Amino acid sequence: MIQLNPAAGPVASPFEPEQQKRFDEGLKKAIAKYPPERTRAALLAALHLAQDLLGWLPEAAMAYVGFRLDVPPARVREVATFYTMYRLKPVGAHHIEVCNSVSCWAMGSEKVLQRCSTSLGIRPGEITPDGKYSLGEVACLAACGYAPALLVNNFRFVEWVDEKKLDDLFAELDKAPGKKMASLPPPKDTGRAH
Amino acid sequence: MAEPVKILTPFWHEPQSFSLDVYRKYGGYTALPKALKMQPQQIVDEVVKSNLRGRGGAGFPTGMKWNFVRKETSFPKYLVVNADEGEPGTFKDRAILENSPHMFVEGLIIGCFAIDCHLTYVYCRGEFRDGASARVQKAIDEAYASGFLGKNILGSGFDLEMHVVSGAGAYICGEETSLLESLEGKRGQVRFKPPLPALQGLWGKPTVINNVITFASVPIILDRGAEFYQHFGSGRSRGTLPMQLAGNIKHGGLVEIAFGMTMRELLYDFGGGSFTGRPIRAVQVGGPLGAYHPDSQFDTPLDYEAFAAIKGMLGHGGIVAFDDSVDMAAQARYAMEFCAIESCGKCTPCRIGSTRGVEVIDRLVAGEDAAKQEAILRDLCETLTYGSLCALGGLTPYPVISALNHFPQDFVKPARASSAVG
Repeated sequence: MIQLNPAAGPVASPFEPEQQKRFDEGLKKAIAKYPPERTRAALLAALHLAQDLLGWLPEAAMAYVGFRLDVPPARVREVATFYTMYRLKPVGAHHIEVCNSVSCWAMGSEKVLQRCSTSLGIRPGEITPDGKYSLGEVACLAACGYAPALLVNNFRFVEWVDEKKLDDLFAELDKAPGKKMASLPPPKDTGRAH
Repeated sequence: MAEPVKILTPFWHEPQSFSLDVYRKYGGYTALPKALKMQPQQIVDEVVKSNLRGRGGAGFPTGMKWNFVRKETSFPKYLVVNADEGEPGTFKDRAILENSPHMFVEGLIIGCFAIDCHLTYVYCRGEFRDGASARVQKAIDEAYASGFLGKNILGSGFDLEMHVVSGAGAYICGEETSLLESLEGKRGQVRFKPPLPALQGLWGKPTVINNVITFASVPIILDRGAEFYQHFGSGRSRGTLPMQLAGNIKHGGLVEIAFGMTMRELLYDFGGGSFTGRPIRAVQVGGPLGAYHPDSQFDTPLDYEAFAAIKGMLGHGGIVAFDDSVDMAAQARYAMEFCAIESCGKCTPCRIGSTRGVEVIDRLVAGEDAAKQEAILRDLCETLTYGSLCALGGLTPYPVISALNHFPQDFVKPARASSAVG
């Protein structure tokens, strides 16, 4: 393993004290899954953790994760830009992603996306002015038997979506605060839309 | 009417089907003590005899794969489960992980014992975190608490650690070498083969990679015997496969069948025909990289060889149906576009060929020198088939060429208004 230059010194943490505690606990658990000499394998999990706490992945979060796992910054950036679940800029407090794959499409996913777009007043890729919602598309969610489907905030599946379900969902989310986005500088140009 | 066979799904009607209690009530964890008393080689032999084939899509004989790794003298050996499901038309792994995670866990423990592996990873796609991943994690925790995992399992002296890890959104990570890269904490880029993962896999060590359903099929083989399991099926495809019906179909969902039922029986007896009530014009079998089949091929029995013979693939058993309003040229374009979006970027045919493919299909449909465009498209597909590093580029020609061969009229019509999907 290539050791990073220790003269580079520690990298400042982007987390609040309470977040720091949760990050440290989560990281410890993630690292424990791998053999002792393979801690770098926890990189994906560490980025997930940071994103969970901050809402997205600012530059400082990527740098800090690299420092903690002894992974070069370029490698962290490589990984963060490869996987679509990592957000390289802030999204809305509620991020809605409509499945655009073929089974959902055959069951009317275009209409679902259109209705979300109309209800929220934004197009895919945009955030509402109040920062409450953002809209996007996502690849197949393994929900083909329950199509059309959409994903809320990365992890919640909503299936067999129809007009009523959408209205109920928005009514519910309107009342929920959602995820707070950390206000930190974004990563330098990553060449990716989201 | 054709009958389902419930080997993997006998207790799914139980509301708590995922719990340890229900699994034990239906005979769960009886295969494990039996297996731990056997010689590991005997277990592998039993799996070979059962003719179980990898359920991830490629249909590679599972026992043979296990034998490769067993014979390796390099240690440690790893076993990695591919639960990075997210292929349009497929939801069987998620269904197993959510409905009978213990069956899968038991099969995985037996697999690890058979190849002398003491550390195993279940690589789930990131979006499953609060659903399927949480279910299987709970099952693992219960297995630890019951002494089925950890040190000295059931007094056999065999130790095993099992972990669930999450991906972060990349279709390509369902490809085994790319999955290994991701598991090592890197970009999910495909590796050159050879060396096969069986020789140099996770961290360069001998590694078995199998699909969720493959492991879920193992307990029944050990419990009831290879004879029992391979009694189901047809030809060289033995046992059962949970078929997944999706798309424009009245009763979508998962149905477990023995190999050999015809597609028509599946579509009409179980699927109830199309959702819209119109005739089913085409079905795509085996995911976004599977071929499109017209009505004239619906009497093909669902087995690996029968589908290979009609230039298709049964793959993981995902079926997406389309009624007669489908524009097959748009579907061919979608397949190419899918490849362009999901390509990991490592090899040229897939990275660039897919983008060129979309352009060629656009010109073909627009009628610009159509005969020439078709020739270019076929030539490009051949390059993709033989020149790509992995199945993504290698199989993308299946849906494209099958659409072109079976539905040529769709490629000469004026392009319909919404030809782009997503």
